[in-house]
Amino acid sequence: MKRFWIVLKYELKEYFTNKVFMGLTVVLVVLGAAALFLPRFVDMSGFTGVQVVGDKEDDSTQDSQQGERPLFLYADEAGVVQPQVLGEMFPDVDWQEADSADALRSLVENQEAQAGFLVTGATQYEYYVYNKGMTDHNTAVFDQAMKLFYRMQYSQQKGWDLGEITAMYDVPVTVTEQILNKDSGSNYWYCYVLVIIVFMLIVYYGQMIAVSVTSEKSNRAIEVLVTSTSPNSLLFGKVIAGAIGGVFQMGVILGAILLSYRVNREQWGGMLDMFLHIPGEVLIAFAFFGLGGYLFYAFLFGAMGALVSKTEDISKSVSGLMVVVMIVYFFSLMQLMNIDGPIIKVLSFLPISSYSTMFARVAMGSVAAWEIVVSFLILAASIAGTGILGAKLYRMGTLRYGNPIKIGTALKDLRKSD
Amino acid sequence: MRLEVKGIHKSFGDKEVLHGIDFHVESGKALGLLGRNGAGKTTTIRILMDVFHANSGEILLDGKKFVPSRHRIGYLPEERGLYPKRTVIDQMIYLACLRGLNPKEAKESAKRWLARLEVSEYETRKLETLSKGNQQKVQLAATLVSNPEIIILDEPFSGLDPVNSQILKDVVNELIAEDRIVIFSSHQMSYVEEFCDEIAIINQGEVVLAGRLRDIKKEYGKNRLMLAAENLSVEELAQKVEREWPDLVSVSGRKRDILILELKEGADRRKVMAALAASSVEVERFGCYEPSLNDIFVMKVGEEEE
Repeated sequence: MKRFWIVLKYELKEYFTNKVFMGLTVVLVVLGAAALFLPRFVDMSGFTGVQVVGDKEDDSTQDSQQGERPLFLYADEAGVVQPQVLGEMFPDVDWQEADSADALRSLVENQEAQAGFLVTGATQYEYYVYNKGMTDHNTAVFDQAMKLFYRMQYSQQKGWDLGEITAMYDVPVTVTEQILNKDSGSNYWYCYVLVIIVFMLIVYYGQMIAVSVTSEKSNRAIEVLVTSTSPNSLLFGKVIAGAIGGVFQMGVILGAILLSYRVNREQWGGMLDMFLHIPGEVLIAFAFFGLGGYLFYAFLFGAMGALVSKTEDISKSVSGLMVVVMIVYFFSLMQLMNIDGPIIKVLSFLPISSYSTMFARVAMGSVAAWEIVVSFLILAASIAGTGILGAKLYRMGTLRYGNPIKIGTALKDLRKSD
Repeated sequence: MRLEVKGIHKSFGDKEVLHGIDFHVESGKALGLLGRNGAGKTTTIRILMDVFHANSGEILLDGKKFVPSRHRIGYLPEERGLYPKRTVIDQMIYLACLRGLNPKEAKESAKRWLARLEVSEYETRKLETLSKGNQQKVQLAATLVSNPEIIILDEPFSGLDPVNSQILKDVVNELIAEDRIVIFSSHQMSYVEEFCDEIAIINQGEVVLAGRLRDIKKEYGKNRLMLAAENLSVEELAQKVEREWPDLVSVSGRKRDILILELKEGADRRKVMAALAASSVEVERFGCYEPSLNDIFVMKVGEEEE
């Protein structure tokens, strides 16, 4: 055990004195925090819907904003358009009537107006735009306006009171939700984000751990090391140091982001709550299962690293494992929509997938306490098992240089040597 | 302490590479493990260090099963390597701690060995920035950093220039004087001859010759004489010997300007000296011939190959 701590300390020092590792951590913390502090210093009300707290807009600001409003044109060949309705339905837009269809087209083409609507009939219009953006929903809103014009015209012809009909048709309903267990709707996005985070931890730091194990074979230090201490101490020390390094980096970055959001939540109008306002119990479940799964895969990556002697061969060695990680990732995300289904129940007990599926069930579905305990015990036993197997492969791979050793061959050799 | 290797057999797959290796070495002595490339020296050392497991045979220390992890061993493997991107002192302290020293002792010992091997100035440098020779010295310092009681050096002189070789020679002599066990594998016979009291020559996975070097040399030099003349070339001297004293000696070899002679049955050194004194040969050198380790190695391994 003492040797394990020596290895762990030495390997951790490698991470924490590595300028690239620490530099990247600092840069990502600063970038993440800066992005979330942005609404305090820059007016993002157009995006967040919230004015900067403490700043009252003065007239000049309002004037300049007025000047920046986009200009939309309409040409009404059918005689149905009500300009005040357009103003209400497009509150951030200045409307102007074009003299003709050609004038409308020409102004849009010359980019003097941002968009143009040529109304050719009571239920027909043409939409003109120079470059249509990904989030251009102008036609959807204009459709509503056209329907309203039609209803107004029709009601007028029939002598109906459109206000009364609308009030009857859209009678307001009051609902008070009494959620007795989980609110999947609001927890869905936390889970989604956390599954992605564990996936990134596994893929990114898993590779780093594999490289760290292989490098001792490639620099030929392994013979000195395995004759100085046990392979168990070496592999456990290296893998756990890599895991701590990964958790530290990801934890500091996430912590900075969560804290910055907490401080600036009001400025964001709570619009990122679905991602960043994570309840405590979800974080606890994530800590046990997410980090447990990460450790499980970290040992597997360490074992795969022990099967090759050149760092450039690592991608070959870990490719099978990467396929498993990817399949589990996609299955987990797909099954979030069916959180109490049989597939996710099975996946939540398998060590390869419980890291994401069990904590998702805890956050969003119905899960009994015994299921959580059993799943975690299976995961913990699997972590120990992969650690011991990894150490055996590491020991067996000592001095086996050359082509990567296939996992099947390695396991066969291990059985023989036992 | 007495370290004994007894009847070690080792196979890789279906091929047996060691066919029963036996030798022993005691404290304050050095054993030279000799053999051609692929003879089985490194495999034997790796079995000794528990890197490989033997199929059969045993290794004993003072009569008890030898478990490397229970002893401080300084092992310089044939495959040299440390961490290229870490500082010299850091990795030396690390290795010393792994071998049982506390951090304070480890630091002191690391500094002492770096100073002894004259590489102190590089202690805060990354290993990869050092020359090959200095890296080799750091590797040696790392081997000795835990103050081992047993030292196993696999080709320690490879990569060292004559000045650095001299430093290492002095260090090895100090270790022997301090009553450590030293096992030494090398192709450079002159070094083995200089340090080792005992040798074991391994050829094709077998010990073909083992024992005290002095006795072996005596045995191989028995009934052999060396002769050089000032007035005759080696060839002329050989012809004269064969022509004039066929009952006393025969020519068994030549070594540069010296003729190696073997005494015939019933002859002795005095008779040969008398014959020489009565002849026209102007003796430049005459005496008992003691073969070098290199001669013995070539002779023994050559015989085995034939």
